[in-house]
Amino acid sequence: MILPITVGVLTAGAIYLMLQRGMVRIIFGLSLLAHAANLVILSAGVTAWRGEPFPDAAGAADAGDPLPQAFVLTAIVIALAVTVLMLAMAVIGHNDDTKRMPETGETHRR
Amino acid sequence: MSLLWTLVISAVTVLATFPLTRFLGRHAGWPIAALYLAAAAAYWPAATQVMAGDTPTWSMPWVPTLGLELSLRADGLGTVFTFIALVIGAIVLAYSTAYLKPGRNLTFYFYMAMFTVSMVGLVLADDLILLFLCWELTSLASFFLIARSGYAGEAASMRTLLITFLGGLGLLAAVTAIIVRTGTTTLSEALAHEVWDTSPGFTAAVALLVILAAFTKSAQFPFHVWLPDAMAAATPVSAYLHAAAVVKAGIFLLMRFSPAFHDVPVWNVLLITTGLVTCGIGGWFALQKTDLKKLMAYSTVSQLGLIVATIGVGTEYALAAAILHVIAHALFKSGLFMMVGVVDHATGTRDVRRMPVLSSAMPVAFWVTVLGCASMAGVPPMLGFVSKESILTSMLDSPFGAVASWAAFLGVALTAVLTFAYCAKIVFNGFYDGRGQAKWPEDRPLHTTPWALGTFAAIPIVVGLPLAFVVGILDTPVGRATAAMLPAGAEEPHPHLALWHGVNLELITSLAIIGVGVLVILRRRFFFPAREHDTFSFDGADVIRVINDTAADIGKSLGALARADNPTRHVAVQFVALAALVLGGVGVLVARDELLPVQEGLASPVDAVVLVIIAGAVVVLGRASSRLAAVVALSTIGAAVTVQIFALGAPDVGMTQLLVEALTVLMIMLVLQRLPQTFGRGPRWGNQAALALALVGGLSAGVATWALTGRRDRSEIAIWYLTEGPVETSGDNVVNTILVEFRALDTFGELTVLGMAAAAMVAILSTVRDRYLDPPPEADRNYVAPPEVPLQAEGSTAHRAIAEAWGNAVPMQIMVRATAPLLAIISAILFLRGHNSPGGGFIAALVGSSIVALVYLATSRDRSIGPPRLPLRLVALGVLIAIGTGIWGMLGHASFLEPLYGYIFDIHVATSMVFDLGVYLAVLGLVMEAFNLLGATGGREGTRERADESVEGEISGPMDTSRGERYAETRLGIPGRRSTYLQQDLPPRRGGGQ
Repeated sequence: MILPITVGVLTAGAIYLMLQRGMVRIIFGLSLLAHAANLVILSAGVTAWRGEPFPDAAGAADAGDPLPQAFVLTAIVIALAVTVLMLAMAVIGHNDDTKRMPETGETHRR
Repeated sequence: MSLLWTLVISAVTVLATFPLTRFLGRHAGWPIAALYLAAAAAYWPAATQVMAGDTPTWSMPWVPTLGLELSLRADGLGTVFTFIALVIGAIVLAYSTAYLKPGRNLTFYFYMAMFTVSMVGLVLADDLILLFLCWELTSLASFFLIARSGYAGEAASMRTLLITFLGGLGLLAAVTAIIVRTGTTTLSEALAHEVWDTSPGFTAAVALLVILAAFTKSAQFPFHVWLPDAMAAATPVSAYLHAAAVVKAGIFLLMRFSPAFHDVPVWNVLLITTGLVTCGIGGWFALQKTDLKKLMAYSTVSQLGLIVATIGVGTEYALAAAILHVIAHALFKSGLFMMVGVVDHATGTRDVRRMPVLSSAMPVAFWVTVLGCASMAGVPPMLGFVSKESILTSMLDSPFGAVASWAAFLGVALTAVLTFAYCAKIVFNGFYDGRGQAKWPEDRPLHTTPWALGTFAAIPIVVGLPLAFVVGILDTPVGRATAAMLPAGAEEPHPHLALWHGVNLELITSLAIIGVGVLVILRRRFFFPAREHDTFSFDGADVIRVINDTAADIGKSLGALARADNPTRHVAVQFVALAALVLGGVGVLVARDELLPVQEGLASPVDAVVLVIIAGAVVVLGRASSRLAAVVALSTIGAAVTVQIFALGAPDVGMTQLLVEALTVLMIMLVLQRLPQTFGRGPRWGNQAALALALVGGLSAGVATWALTGRRDRSEIAIWYLTEGPVETSGDNVVNTILVEFRALDTFGELTVLGMAAAAMVAILSTVRDRYLDPPPEADRNYVAPPEVPLQAEGSTAHRAIAEAWGNAVPMQIMVRATAPLLAIISAILFLRGHNSPGGGFIAALVGSSIVALVYLATSRDRSIGPPRLPLRLVALGVLIAIGTGIWGMLGHASFLEPLYGYIFDIHVATSMVFDLGVYLAVLGLVMEAFNLLGATGGREGTRERADESVEGEISGPMDTSRGERYAETRLGIPGRRSTYLQQDLPPRRGGGQ
């Protein structure tokens, strides 16, 4: 039962970073959260079976659950997309402070 | 079949409005009126059957699985209302041909026809769902008809919609309750159900809901507000909807449900009291109005109240009186509304204070109005007199004891005085007195009334006169309609309608009312002007506005709790909630000893190594104030997680993680060069609080993982995929076949997310002007000047090595020359073998993307890779390919994205490989776009220019616009307070280098 501790450590780091002001730190926090979530999903497939899911080549007796693996693969790529989008916003005005937003020339109509 | 034809002809009319208005303009009203009459004629056989005591029905299956049927049923009630809707509709449309401005008037005719078909559907429906749908359609048509009348109609139509839809919700609740309780959607069966006798509580609740619906539609107090509002609509709309049809829909609903509720106390009390109150205040407000149309609106409110009160009495006689008054009111009120239109057309005003003497100038119109008002006031020998006498009688005969009966009788008599008074006001102030004659310019002639305008306004009023003398012919229709309003087993009603009933109390009361009325007429010069001020300083519209604004304010203040640019508030709340849920839940599970035993062999030594590395790196990452150090820690964690994933037996996932990690770090580095070197300050309420929340959140995540995973055997679905997956797909890489075959729709959704991310980046960055996006050093608070390095003289090797990038990039470029083809080959192999071995579209695309990254890093000067529009096109192509294979699967298997198999030269191929190509292109496009946008340093080309170029192609500088901002007005002088380029469809001006 080591994986739960890893998940806990990653989540703690993620929360700490996501509560910061700087966008880049928030992005880092989100990355950690993504790692933690992926490990949770993988451990939902029960980590007692750790064989590679290639039944013909490696045999199915010891193979891990392929479904969480497919989910996590998708999740990793989506995390990339989200990270990229947030990075693009972090760079606006060469300032990633989310409390004192850089001027963008926008006029708000409230 | 007769019923169906009526409905079909009405429905065809809706579609026919398009060609008819195109070719005939406003004269399209003629053929449409003819179609209405044709629909009425088609109904005639059914009407004869109904008069003979039959109830013809028609039905066809609608949603068989839910037991819904499109069923129609004609009875006396439906017959009366069908004829009102169609015949009055035909008259009003003929009138419209002269009233409307020349032109197409499509929206008018379209919504009128839509209204008529839904009204006919409503009154003939024998299915509760159909009834509800038609009810809502009439509300919608009414809304559109008010809203189409321009600025004045905007707010009024919204208020109408608000009120009528409130009632619609009531009806929906009622219909649902009835269906659930009686188990049938058939209206006639539900109304005959025993539940109305056995369950008084349920009956009262449903009755209240039906009353809510009917009161909102029929403008009963306090929902009467919308009807005067609705006078913003064109006069034909008022004449048809607000006199004869839409407001009568509420009356119809009350009558339709009368068999179930006519002896329920709450029904009787609420209908009689509300009806009389509405009748009274409507009449009083009508007296206060100087605008003839507003006066008519309040008079309608008042008359509807009278009908509602009569329905509330619930006796056979009262119901017959109510239906008679519905007929009489539909005739005289639609005619009077149209007469107001005639006056408006002739004088250009509807205000009685500006009215010249019209009785001599327009004698025909004057006498027709006199007839109409006489009918409304209940003066013999008009049809309105007959119906008002009947109403008085039914009040006296009410079954609620002598006191209540006399009170109701007196109430009706008093409101009748008000009615007489405002009728007198219409006739004398509107036509005879000429209160505005003195100020009327002598050279201003009255407009001549077109024949169609006058004729069709007069018809409904004039027929009321002979009808009163032969009112006996209405015996059968009124009798059949009354029968439909009584429970099925009740005795067959036989009303005997007559103009002359002999000298009785009702006649004496009528004479007394007329006597008082005559007094009012004699004193009118003082009486009417003295009433012409509002009783209250606010009206219903103000009340609705206050309610609306209050609701909006509450919404805003609730929204303010979560409205911030900084995510702390949302994130903190979520994690606190998560911790509470997990710790509490697991605590309960442990306390009750309900946790399953842990599976053996969950951990392996590698896990411990990974944990140590991750723990150390997380601490470094949290404490680092240097951004560079933080990136190093982050990539350490990424690498450790990759090792963990490989150790869990997921090579595909591990490879993906490794490649994504590498690309992410590169992108972060691109961004960091434009940000301060260190992180700024911590969160507002201190690092300690953040740390505490982090520890609790981390604990709860760990506890959740410990308690909820690893406590079962391998799942059935895992076994199925492992044993059957290769057989089904003939691919040994189960993860890959899940991605591109079994759960391809998920993957399709994912690649559209990738595409959206690329498009969103471009969209966001192109809303910020270049000088804000990449501020020049003097405007950049975080700018740090490059360090002064004491260099040797210019031209020396040492100077070149520091100051010129070119030389430094050479080794990298040589390496790229060798590695790029190699990586391309690896990418292709990974792509092709993905079905059977680790690989596939994602991994291959990430390897391909790393070529992009390498090329980007190897250039000595910042420039975009490939043609500027390429990345978005790759994304689009990828999504299109994926959709294409999906549709291909649909054609082959009738299932979206289901793969097709085949052989090319003995090699097994599947369309899922083409789908994988779509995935490949979308990933590649996103990464390319990211490098192009994030890498721009602002030296030669800024981020903004890159964003613009990825849509517009190569341009000479960044655009000086910000889409969605008020640029057009302030700089270009294009009018429109909120004009934007997207709305105006104008090309943005190109700025920058030009």
